[in-house]
Amino acid sequence: MDPAEVEFLAEKEMVKIIPNFSLDKIYLIGGDLGPFNPGLPVEVPVWLALNLKQRQKCRIVPPEWMDTDKLEEIREQERKLDTFTPIPSPYYMELAKLLLNHSADNIPKADEIRTLVKDIWDTRVAKLRLSADSFISQQEAHAQLDNLTLMEINTTRSFLLDSLNYMYKLRSNLQPGRSQDY
Amino acid sequence: MPCERKPMRYVTSFEITLTCGSDGDVRIWESLDDDDPKSINVGEKVYSVALKNGKLVTAVSNNTVQIHTFPEGDPDGILTRFTTNANHVTFNSSGSRVAAGSSDFIVKIVEVVDSSQQKTLRGHDAPVLSVALDTSDEFLASSSCDGSVTVWSIESQTQVAQWKILQKSSDVSNAKSLCRLAWQPHSGKFSLWLLPVVNVVVWSPCGKFLAAGTVGGNLLIWDVEAKLCIERQKHEKGFTVCGMAWHPSGGRIAYTDTEGCLGLLEGVSSSSPPSSSTVQSTKVKKNDYDDLFDEDDDRMLDEGMSDSRSPVKKPIMEEDDDDDDLMPATGKPRNRGSFLDDDDNSQDVCVSQDPGSVKLDGVPEEDGSSAILPAVGPAVSRPVYEGPMPTQPQRAFQAGSTPVHLMHRFMVWNSVGIVRGYNDDQDNAIDVEFHDTAIHHAMHLTNTLGHTMADLSQEAVLLACEGTDELASKIQCLHFSCWDTHKDWIVDLPKGEDVCALCLGQGWAAVATSALMVRLFSIGGVQKEIFSLPGAVVCMAGHGEQLLIMYHRGTGFDGDQALGVQLLQLGSKRRQVIHGEPLPLSRKSYLAWMGFTAEGTPCCIDSEGVVRMLNRTVGNTWTPVCNTRDSCKSKSDHYWVVGVHENPQQLRCIPCKGSRFPPTLPRPAVAVLPFNLPYCQTTTEKGQMEEQYWRSMLFHNHYSFLSSSGYEIDSEGQSQAEKEQQELLMKMFALSCKLEREFRCVELAEMMTHSVVTLAIRYASRSRLFKDKASFKFCFSKILVSIFTFTMYNNIYLNVQVSGAGKPSSSSAGQPRTTSVLDSMTMSSRKPTPLGGTSKQGKAPVLKPLAPKPKSKVHASKGNSKKLVDSQTEAEKVKAAPAATPPASVENIENRKPKTGFQLWLEDNRKSILADNPDFEEMDVIKQGMGRFRTLSAEERLNWTERAKGDSDPKKRKREDEGQVNDQMESDEGSAKKKKPLDTSAKLSAFAFNKE
Repeated sequence: MDPAEVEFLAEKEMVKIIPNFSLDKIYLIGGDLGPFNPGLPVEVPVWLALNLKQRQKCRIVPPEWMDTDKLEEIREQERKLDTFTPIPSPYYMELAKLLLNHSADNIPKADEIRTLVKDIWDTRVAKLRLSADSFISQQEAHAQLDNLTLMEINTTRSFLLDSLNYMYKLRSNLQPGRSQDY
Repeated sequence: MPCERKPMRYVTSFEITLTCGSDGDVRIWESLDDDDPKSINVGEKVYSVALKNGKLVTAVSNNTVQIHTFPEGDPDGILTRFTTNANHVTFNSSGSRVAAGSSDFIVKIVEVVDSSQQKTLRGHDAPVLSVALDTSDEFLASSSCDGSVTVWSIESQTQVAQWKILQKSSDVSNAKSLCRLAWQPHSGKFSLWLLPVVNVVVWSPCGKFLAAGTVGGNLLIWDVEAKLCIERQKHEKGFTVCGMAWHPSGGRIAYTDTEGCLGLLEGVSSSSPPSSSTVQSTKVKKNDYDDLFDEDDDRMLDEGMSDSRSPVKKPIMEEDDDDDDLMPATGKPRNRGSFLDDDDNSQDVCVSQDPGSVKLDGVPEEDGSSAILPAVGPAVSRPVYEGPMPTQPQRAFQAGSTPVHLMHRFMVWNSVGIVRGYNDDQDNAIDVEFHDTAIHHAMHLTNTLGHTMADLSQEAVLLACEGTDELASKIQCLHFSCWDTHKDWIVDLPKGEDVCALCLGQGWAAVATSALMVRLFSIGGVQKEIFSLPGAVVCMAGHGEQLLIMYHRGTGFDGDQALGVQLLQLGSKRRQVIHGEPLPLSRKSYLAWMGFTAEGTPCCIDSEGVVRMLNRTVGNTWTPVCNTRDSCKSKSDHYWVVGVHENPQQLRCIPCKGSRFPPTLPRPAVAVLPFNLPYCQTTTEKGQMEEQYWRSMLFHNHYSFLSSSGYEIDSEGQSQAEKEQQELLMKMFALSCKLEREFRCVELAEMMTHSVVTLAIRYASRSRLFKDKASFKFCFSKILVSIFTFTMYNNIYLNVQVSGAGKPSSSSAGQPRTTSVLDSMTMSSRKPTPLGGTSKQGKAPVLKPLAPKPKSKVHASKGNSKKLVDSQTEAEKVKAAPAATPPASVENIENRKPKTGFQLWLEDNRKSILADNPDFEEMDVIKQGMGRFRTLSAEERLNWTERAKGDSDPKKRKREDEGQVNDQMESDEGSAKKKKPLDTSAKLSAFAFNKE
């Protein structure tokens, strides 16, 4: 899976915007959106929010978790625990990236948030690598990782699977008797 | 505690007075004329001193209570320690024990001779201000910053009584007064005064007089038994009295103030109370010092307390006092013998405290039960005004603005946009931003004129500033929708006249000025009418051609505002709609927002968060539609309203945590609150529906207003609203039926539109709830009458007869009438009703266990279409609705047959009836017809009936052919008739009440 695909999925998340135009309900395959009243917050998918934002038709209200205090708390928690902590949004990385890239002016302390999200991401991915490492080195048959987001799984999927495949091949070459079975 | 505050507590006795203060010295004054008092340095600061039996006890700043010998002043050991400084120490009457109250919330009682014998009293939640031991050594009273006065049993170290009567404070230094307590010698009573004004209280050694020193520098002496104030003196400089002591023989009082002076008041109690006036009631706390004075040793006792920490805090209480002679004694006491006798002084207490000193009596005795007696208070000699106090009138404001003193503020936030004002070091500017950028792009203006008021509409921005000494008050209008090149205009007001409030409407602007005038301008700057207001303006709002003005109608009392409302209709039909009627506000609140809903209904919000909307249908009354405080999570949260919309019902506001208004940054987000009329019992289904119904009625009033003032209205929305209301009525009707509230059913039916009434009647007839046929009949005849009287819709009348009363009635006499009338009438009179649109809803799940098809037939028959005349259909119908009408089936058959008979007859005879009575209307014709038909012989009637049967037969066959698919089958007029009942039946099922 491509990161772009994951991002595409993330764009279906709803976000609040404050439109500066007036429009009746619009009826889309995915559901009805609107009505849009200038100055009144309305929930729309991220893709629409970004589109409107780029056309300067709205201001984006950052999601509740996109707040330095909350993120700092999560970061601390993430660093303290060995397991993955629950994350406020399954698409936190993607949303942070999209919203911060396109509407940083509507998000207070955008730079801090960017850093915090990056920190959280790094911590989690490091944990993921670590656990993958111990998983392989201990030759476990299975492992359970809770609270992983799609993007995180995606970063490690191809590499982990491929390497497991190779290792399997290498190991089966070491034991020729067994390799014939497969 | 600055050193200059050197309050002393002194105690005088015969000749010796002791004082202490924050300079760390205890001074011993040999006599009142002693110019060179002896000083004993006991520590950095002395908080309190007490003297008895040659022992001087001091509470000093190293958190200890020390003993010194007296009069030498040599240290004699440490009595006890606290974790922080003790605030008050006092001896018991025999001098064997010392009680000390400390800032660490603890009170300790220590034996003087053996300091290891301590009793500790824990239970206060804040620093202890004062302690007092009663004369029997049984009880101890203490006051604390936590607002409580506690009486403890010393032996058991438990609380005997506690009163939360003082004002809480966080620390001794914040306490409003020293809250000294005093036990009455001998009697074991102790008194407490409540207002924070009295700092110290002492009983005279004889127990008859009570002296109090107040924060404001007054010295008051009461004769307790007579409850009279016998003396009142004002400290010459008005300093706070922080210590007092009676001479053990009575008759003299020494006092100290917070500025470090010692004074003496003589001739006090010895003289019989002079004609004194009273003082009253400030609430005072009384403390006792009596113990301090000690009678038995002849010498002095002193007591010192050093800290008086409280400057006068309550401005409310000023006591004034006239004359005299309090001697202030700067620094040294002077002896004045003559002093006081007779001047009376009275003290006026202004304002709100009623003479309510609280006195606790008899606490210590047996059970510790205590009574709080109202007022020891001496009678008031001079009348004190205790009535309602006038409220400060609220100042003029712009709706949707934050306070003017802020550097960054919203000058207005309304449904069009936001105007922000910045006034800081770098910048004095105004930003105008539109919610809908299609109106205009954002603007940034430099605010050279210092505008403080703004309003924003779709056409213009109106700004105004108050005048200064050099410059007149100015109005500036940025008319951005103007099509020429001059987009703005400025008008100067006449000298001395300032703009107080302004607003924009459609094509006009209005400005209310300090000259109690309203000036109207066209949006292009033409001056138009001016008129005067009866009072100072509070706020103005414009919408379309309406101008709403709130102004002070008079003086409000006790926190209420007295506001008046004027609503003017400008434009072509100029008139005043509301002529200065009072504006209802919550108690003790002020107007917080005012304006129009987006649809043009005036609306106001008070500081208690109650939103009220003008109800034009009830003579322009104001109906509360929402209380924003109900949605607040905490007490200090508020909603700052920015707009009200009636359709959809939205109260747009900004939640403000811990304040009344939002900051400009971060940019606040708008939230939407629902409306909720404060109806009773909205937890019940009935209450809910009533609330919904009336809310819907209220919030759709604007349709009639708009259409009457010539606007185009959204007729779809209106019919939608009506439909909703009727549905609610129908639901309420169903509920009442369920509860067998027949009278209520009729009442509800009277509120319904005609088409819904028929529906309701059908529902009722089928629901079997009217078990008593007679009552059913009665009910609906009532409805009929009421409807008939104001509608003259004969068809309804007829419908009702048939569907409601017709079924149960079996009397042959009644038959012809009901039946025949039906047919002829329905045809002509049926008209599309507003409810036609509900057919969609009719498909909703049916709650009643009726099969859809038969049901439709039933309705068809009830709807009096001709096809259902024959008995077969009747039978089917009965089958279809067995539950509903089994006993009525036979009768129905009979009823239906003659129905058509009468109709045919009527058709034949209509002309003759009309000829006889040319001025008859349809209704009358039918009545007349019924009368005549009844007079026919039975055979004739049968004959007509047969004919009717013959007529209907073909139709019946046709109907069967179509397999009873009634819905679409009919052609021409038949179909129209048919369809209607169907719809209604479907609707009906949707209303079926499902509570059980």
